[in-house]
Amino acid sequence: MSRGHGIARRFALAALLAAGAAAEAKAQKAEWTDVVYVPGRWAAGKLVSLKATDPRTDSLALMMRVDYFSAPPRWRAEIRRTADGQTMGNPDIIIGEGARAVVVTALGATPLEQHVLGQDPLVRAAMVFDRNGRAPGPAAGRLVERAADGSVGRVVFRRSVKNPSFADALLDPGARSGGRSLLASGISAVGDQRQASVVATAGARGVDRVKTPGGDVPVTPDSAAIRRMELLVVGAVALEDFMRTGGLGPYAVRPDSTGRRP
Amino acid sequence: MKRTTRVGAVVSTVALLAATAASPATAQGILDRLRQAANIARTLLPISTAKEVDIGRGIAATIAGRFPVSTDTALSRYVNLVGLTVASQDPRGDIEYRFAVLETPTVNAYAAPGGYIFVTRGALALMQSEAELAGVLAHEVGHVNRKHVINQIRKSDTMREVRDQLDIQGATLDRVVGTGSNALFMGLSRGDELEADSAGIEYASAAGYDPGGLAAFITRLDRHAGEGPVTEFFATHPQPGERTERLNAIAGRENLPPGAVLAERFRKIVH
Repeated sequence: MSRGHGIARRFALAALLAAGAAAEAKAQKAEWTDVVYVPGRWAAGKLVSLKATDPRTDSLALMMRVDYFSAPPRWRAEIRRTADGQTMGNPDIIIGEGARAVVVTALGATPLEQHVLGQDPLVRAAMVFDRNGRAPGPAAGRLVERAADGSVGRVVFRRSVKNPSFADALLDPGARSGGRSLLASGISAVGDQRQASVVATAGARGVDRVKTPGGDVPVTPDSAAIRRMELLVVGAVALEDFMRTGGLGPYAVRPDSTGRRP
Repeated sequence: MKRTTRVGAVVSTVALLAATAASPATAQGILDRLRQAANIARTLLPISTAKEVDIGRGIAATIAGRFPVSTDTALSRYVNLVGLTVASQDPRGDIEYRFAVLETPTVNAYAAPGGYIFVTRGALALMQSEAELAGVLAHEVGHVNRKHVINQIRKSDTMREVRDQLDIQGATLDRVVGTGSNALFMGLSRGDELEADSAGIEYASAAGYDPGGLAAFITRLDRHAGEGPVTEFFATHPQPGERTERLNAIAGRENLPPGAVLAERFRKIVH
C-alpha cells in the first residue's frame, strides 16, 4: 500500500469519526419549555399564596416560563418571570456546564451562586441539570412537586420541541478559546459573540414595549413559542374525523325548509 | 415593470392629480396634497403573502411574549381543529392558519397577519360551547382574510421609508412588526371589527356551526363589563349591544340556518 493511500484512509477515518460525533451531538440536543405555577392567585399585581393539595382543582398562579436548550454537558436556561400573572419580563439567561451555572448579562458572566438569582428558590428549582448536564424527568407533561406535608409546591407544565435546531453558539458563554471550558472562563467580559447569542433568543425583533389600552407594557418576543405553534400540525384525517363526529363541514345536518332539523 | 417603478408611477400620478386640483394653488396646499397623495400611494403598496406571513410571525412572537402560549397539547389541538374547521370556509387559499391558547385570564383573541390566531384562557373560561369558540375564531379569521392589520401598517408612518415590500426587512421589519403589534393591542377600527363579525358569522355558519355562537359569547361578556379581565376587550371593540344586534340582523337577512352547538364536546376538553 502506498503512503498516499495510507494518508487518504486516515483522513477518511477521521472524517467518518467526526461525522459520527457530529451526528451524536445533534442527536443529544434537546429543547423544551417549562411553564411554572405555584398554589395561589394573582390579585392586583400581588401573589396571594394558597395551600393546595390537588393541582387539578386548586387555584394555581403562573410564576415563570423557562426555555431550556441542552447539548450535554452544556445547557442554557432562559427564565422569564411574571409580576402580575399576565406579562412576562425580559429573560434572565443562565448558561451551564454540568451542574455548574453562570448568569449571563450584558455586563458579564457571574456564577449563579454569587448572583442574586441564585438566592431565588424558584430559579434554584429550575436548575434541573445533573453533573453530566442531563435533565432527568419526563420530556413532556405535568409535573407536580410536593412539600414534605404533601401540599403542592410547584406545578410544571412541560412541552418539548421534537426536532431541536438551535445554534450551538447559544450554549457558548463567550469564551474566546474553543477548547477552554466554561468554568475556566469564570467571570469575564461579554464578547460580541455572547451578546449576539443572547440577543438572538432574547428578543429577535427588538420590540420591547407595546402599546395597550392600559399603557405601554414591556414585551420580549417569543419566537420559540411560534415555532412550536407552527410544528403543531393537525392532519387532514383528524380534521375530517373531527368534522364528522361534530356534524360539521360536509357532514353538517341542515334543517329542512320548515326550519326543523331532521 | 418593476414593482418599485409601478409604485413610483402611482405616487407621481396621484401627486400630479392632487397638485393640479389645488386651487388656489398655494405652496402649502400643494404640499398637503402631495402628502395626501403619498399616503394614498402607501396604502396601495403590494405586500405578498410571504411577506405578510413574515410580518405576522413577528407580531405573533410579540403576542406570545406578552402572554405565554399554552403548552397544553390536547387543548391546543382542539382549538386548532375548531379553528381549521371555520378557516376552511375562508376563500383566501394562500394562508395556512394556526391557532393557539394564551395562558392569561385576560379575555380576548388576536389575529396576526399570515394566519397566526390566538384565544386567551380567560376567553375560553367564559365560553359555554364549541359554537361560541368557533364564532370567536371565525371572527379572527375574518380579520386575516380582510388584512386589517396589514392595512393599518400600510397607513402608518412606518411605511414612509418603504418604497417596495423588499424594503421590509431587518430594522424596517422590526418597526413594521412593532406598528402591527401596537395596532393589534390598541384595537382595530370599529369598521374593521364589524367587518370581521360579518365575515366570521358567515364562515362559522358555512362550517356547520350555529350562527349565534359569537353573539352568545359577546352577550355573556357584557354581563362581566367592568371586571378586570374584560377591560381591555371592551376598550378595543365596539359596544356589545351594537355587535349582537348586527350579528342577529345578518343571521336573519342571510337566512342562516341553525347549526351545531356542541356544548358537551367543548366542556369535556376545555373546562
